[in-house]
Amino acid sequence: MIRGIGLYVHIPFCASRCPYCDFATAPATTALRDRYMETLSSEIVREGELLGHPRVRTLFFGGGTPSLLEPEEIARLGDALRSAFVLRPREVTLEANPATLDRARLEAWLALGLTRLSLGAQSFDPAGLRALGRTHQPDDSLSAFEVARAAGLDVNLDLIFGWPGQTIAGWERDLGIATALGPDHLSCYPLELRLDPDGSIPNWPGGGWPVLERWRRAASAAQPDDAGIARMYRVAERSLGHAGYRHYEIANWARPGKRSLHNLGYWRDRDWLGVGAGAHTHLAGARSANPVDLRAYISRIESGSPRAVDDDSDPPSEAAMLALRLDSGLDLGRYAARFGDLAAARVRGALREVEQVHLVQLKGRSARLTARGRLLASEVFVRLLP
Amino acid sequence: MAELAQIRNFSVIAHVDHGKTTLSDRLLETTGTVPLREMRDQLLDSMELEREHGITIKARAVRMAWREHELNLIDTPGHVDFTYEVSRSLAACEGAVLLVDASQGIEAQTLANAYLAVEQGLEVIPVINKIDLPNIDIDVVREELRTTLGFRDDEILLVSGKTGAGVNELLDAIVERVPPPVGDVAAPLRALIFDSHYDAYKGVVAHVRVVDGSLASHDRIRLMATERESELLELGVFVPDPRPIARLETGETGYVATGLKAVADCRVGDTLTLAARPARAPLPGYRPAKPMVFAGFYPSNAQDYPLLKDAMEKLRLNDASLIYEPETSQALGFGFRAGFLGLLHLEIVQERLEREYDLDLIATSPSVEYRVITQKGAEVPIDNPALLPDPGTIVEIREPWMKVTVIVPTTHVGPVMELAQTKRASLVDMSYVDPTRAMLKYDMALSEVIVDFYDQLKSSSRGYASLDYEFAEYRPADLVRLDILVSGTLVDALSIITHRERAQQSGRVLVNKLRGLIPKQMFDVRIQAAIGGKVIASETVKAKRKDVLAKCYGGDITRKRKLLEKQKEGKKRMKMVGSVEIPQEAFLAVLRIGDDT
Repeated sequence: MIRGIGLYVHIPFCASRCPYCDFATAPATTALRDRYMETLSSEIVREGELLGHPRVRTLFFGGGTPSLLEPEEIARLGDALRSAFVLRPREVTLEANPATLDRARLEAWLALGLTRLSLGAQSFDPAGLRALGRTHQPDDSLSAFEVARAAGLDVNLDLIFGWPGQTIAGWERDLGIATALGPDHLSCYPLELRLDPDGSIPNWPGGGWPVLERWRRAASAAQPDDAGIARMYRVAERSLGHAGYRHYEIANWARPGKRSLHNLGYWRDRDWLGVGAGAHTHLAGARSANPVDLRAYISRIESGSPRAVDDDSDPPSEAAMLALRLDSGLDLGRYAARFGDLAAARVRGALREVEQVHLVQLKGRSARLTARGRLLASEVFVRLLP
Repeated sequence: MAELAQIRNFSVIAHVDHGKTTLSDRLLETTGTVPLREMRDQLLDSMELEREHGITIKARAVRMAWREHELNLIDTPGHVDFTYEVSRSLAACEGAVLLVDASQGIEAQTLANAYLAVEQGLEVIPVINKIDLPNIDIDVVREELRTTLGFRDDEILLVSGKTGAGVNELLDAIVERVPPPVGDVAAPLRALIFDSHYDAYKGVVAHVRVVDGSLASHDRIRLMATERESELLELGVFVPDPRPIARLETGETGYVATGLKAVADCRVGDTLTLAARPARAPLPGYRPAKPMVFAGFYPSNAQDYPLLKDAMEKLRLNDASLIYEPETSQALGFGFRAGFLGLLHLEIVQERLEREYDLDLIATSPSVEYRVITQKGAEVPIDNPALLPDPGTIVEIREPWMKVTVIVPTTHVGPVMELAQTKRASLVDMSYVDPTRAMLKYDMALSEVIVDFYDQLKSSSRGYASLDYEFAEYRPADLVRLDILVSGTLVDALSIITHRERAQQSGRVLVNKLRGLIPKQMFDVRIQAAIGGKVIASETVKAKRKDVLAKCYGGDITRKRKLLEKQKEGKKRMKMVGSVEIPQEAFLAVLRIGDDT
C-alpha cells in the first residue's frame, strides 16, 4: 500500500519546438491532442485504482507546455485526478511558457489547486532568447511573473546560461533582473546539448533529427567553453547567495521554505507516479516509464499493458547520486540502514577517492559535494556505479 | 627417380612485383605440372597475408619435368628482412633465374640477391620479363645487367610470364646452363633445410635439399644443430600439391614431415641426417635467427593477456625467427617483448596477431639492440629503452649500423641524399647501374632505417627508389634515453633511445602530442620530457572545469545513469599512470608517430 505519492502529469504539447529540448513533446495542433487528453485521464483513473487511491502529496504539471491547455481540458484533467486520488497536495506546480499564460487559463488552474508557477524565462536578453530558439520576448516573462504574483502563486524562474554569444556580464545582467523580480525559487541550467542521434524525438513532423543536429552542433561550437560555463556557474552561486537564495541542489536555488517539494521527492528517492507520454515512475523501488511516442503511449494505455520497467536500474547507486545532488548530502548511516553495510562501505570508498581531489567533503556519516564537486559531479557519480 | 645428371635445382630471384609468381605459374603450366584448367592464380603464395603484402614469405620447392630432366623450382622469400632465408634457398640450388621487369629495371634488393647467388657459385640466368608491355626500353635493362653483373647480351633471355613468350627457351636454358647437382650418393645423409613450416596435421614440415646420401620414408632422422631426433612421418615432393614418395635421393629436393612440434626445433640452415648413420659434419652456413628489431606487444585490454600469450605461442610454432619473452610495463601492464628479423617481419607478426587471433594490440616503438659498455667493463645488450642503465654507470653506448644500398633514378638523387642526411647516413659510394639510375651506398644506423626510412625514401623518389641493407657493425654513438613523465610519473612504455642532438626536438614533439591526447583530469596534468632527470620540454593539460549533468528530475534518472555508464566504460579503457587516466588511443597515437619525433 502506497501511503503518499508525488504525481507528475505530462502535457507534451508545445506551440513550437525548442531545438535544445530533449523532453517528450508534440505540436500543440496535433490531431492526437483530444485522444491524448482522454487517454491521460483514463491512465490517471486506472493508476488511482491500481494503487488504492493514495494521497497525492505533491502535484506537478510538466511538459511540453502544460500552460497552453484550454480551460475545459484543465477541468476534465481535474475531474480525473479528483476521482483517482486523495487530492490534498501541499504543492501544485505548473510549468509555464511566459507567452501562453492568460487569466482564463490561470483561473482554471487555480480551481485545480495551483500553488506554484514555474516560468520558463530562460533569459531576459533578446539575444539569448534568439540564440536558444525561443519564441517569447523578455517582456512576456515580466508580465507572466506579475500575473502569477497577483494570483498569489509562488514563482520559480528557469534560466539557461552558456548559450552561444553569452558573456559573463550578460549572465550577471540576467541574474540581476531575476533577483530584482524576487522569485521564490530559481533553476539555473547550463545549456546541455545532446548530440547523439538517439536524441531524435518523435511526434514532430518535418526535418527531424538532422535539422536539430545541425542546430545543436552549430550552437555547441559557439557556446562558451567548459571553463567559461564553470565561471558562470560560480557567478550564479555568488550572486544568488547574496540575494538570499539557498543553493539546495546542483541547479536549484530557493528562498527559505520555498524549495520544490515535488522535486525533493525525486532527489530523496521517494515514491512518485508519472502519467502521460514519456513520463517516468518510481514506486516501491522500481523504475518504469511510458513510451515517448504519442501513438505508442495511447496504444499502451488502451491495451492495458504495463509500463516498461527499467531492468538496469541500480537503486543503491541511484539513491546515493540523487542524495548527493542536494546540499544536505548523503547520510551514510541512513544509507547503510537502507541498503546494507556493504553498499555503504562501497560508496564511502568511492567518495574517499574523490575527497582527495576536493570534490566531496566527508564528515562523519555525512558526505556532501563541494563547490568544485557540484561542477564535476559526473566524476563523483561515475564512481558510484556498480 | 632421376639420375643426378638429370636434375636441375634453381631459384628465381626477383623484386616484388617483377612477375616472379606469374612466371612460376607459367613454368608449371608449360611443363605440364599443372594442367591449364587447374591453374589458380599465384599458386605458390599460400598465405592470405603474403598475397596482400605482395611477397612470398615461406619458400617451397616444386618439382617439374622438362625434356627428360627433373626441374626443382625453389622459391625464395622476397623481402630484405629474410636475407638469411634467401641465402639458404640459394644454397639448395645450382642455378638462379635473375628476373628483371623490363619496365622497372634492376632493383637494389634483387641486385643484392644476385650477388649472393654469384658468391655462392650459382649459374645465374639473366631474364628480362614483361616484354609484352608497351613503351619499354629493353636495351636499358640489358645495359644494367651488363654494368652491374657483367652479363653478355647473348646470355640474356627475354620472356613474358603473361603471354608465355620465351618460356620454352628459358626452360631449355635452365637444362643447358644450370649444372646438375654434385653429391656423394654413398655417404651418410646430409640434407639442407631451406625452409620449414608448421602444419596442423603433420607437425613441422621441413623443405630439404639432399646433398649427400638418401632418405627413406621409414628413417629416423636427426637435426644436427638442434640435436633433435624423431621418427619421420612422411616424405614427399610438391608437384605442386604434396605427393608422398618412398625415397629422396642425392641432389633431389622434397619435404619431410618431421614429427616435431615446433619450427624452432627444425631451423632453416640446419642439416638433416639419419639417426642410425649420422654424417660427421653438418653442411656449412647454419646461423641461428638473429633478431634485429624489437618491440613490446601489449593487449589493449589487459584481460586479453592470456589470449595474446596463446597466440604468440601458436605463431612461434610456425615462425622460428620470432623470439619473445614476457615483459611488464607500468603503463601498459603485462605483455611481451619480441624480436624480429626486421620491420616488415614485425608488421607481419602484428597483423597476424590482430587478424588471425582477433587481438587488439599496442605495439611500442620499435627499437634496435644497443650494446652498453658499463664502467665495470661489461657489455650489456639492451633492446628495451626503459631498461637502459643509469647514465652514470655507462661508459659508452653502441648501436648497430647497416650497409644500405639504394637504387634510384638520377632525377631523384637529390631528395634521397637530403633524406639520408637527416638520417645520419654517410655516403660510401655512388655509381650508375645505367645512365638513368644511380646506386647509392650508405652507412646508416639501423635505428634510423627502422623509423620510417623506407616510406620516406619511397615518397622522396616518387616510389622509384629501392632499398637493401645488411648488418655491418656496432658503432659507438652519443645516445640518450628520452623519458616521458606524466604528473611526475615515468611512462616506461614511451621511453625512447635517441641521439642527443635530436632529443630536444623529439621531446617537444612528444609532449605536445600528448597534451592533445590526454583528456582533462580533475587536476592539472604536467607532461614532461626528460633526459636523465633533466626536463627538456613541458606542457600542461589544465584541470577539467565542468562535468555535470545539471538537470535531473524524475525522467532524467535512467538516462543520466546510462550516460554515466558510458563514461565509466570509457574510463575502463584508460590506463592509470600514477593518478592520471590515459586513454589507450594516446599510447597508440604517440607510438605511431615515429616520423615526427
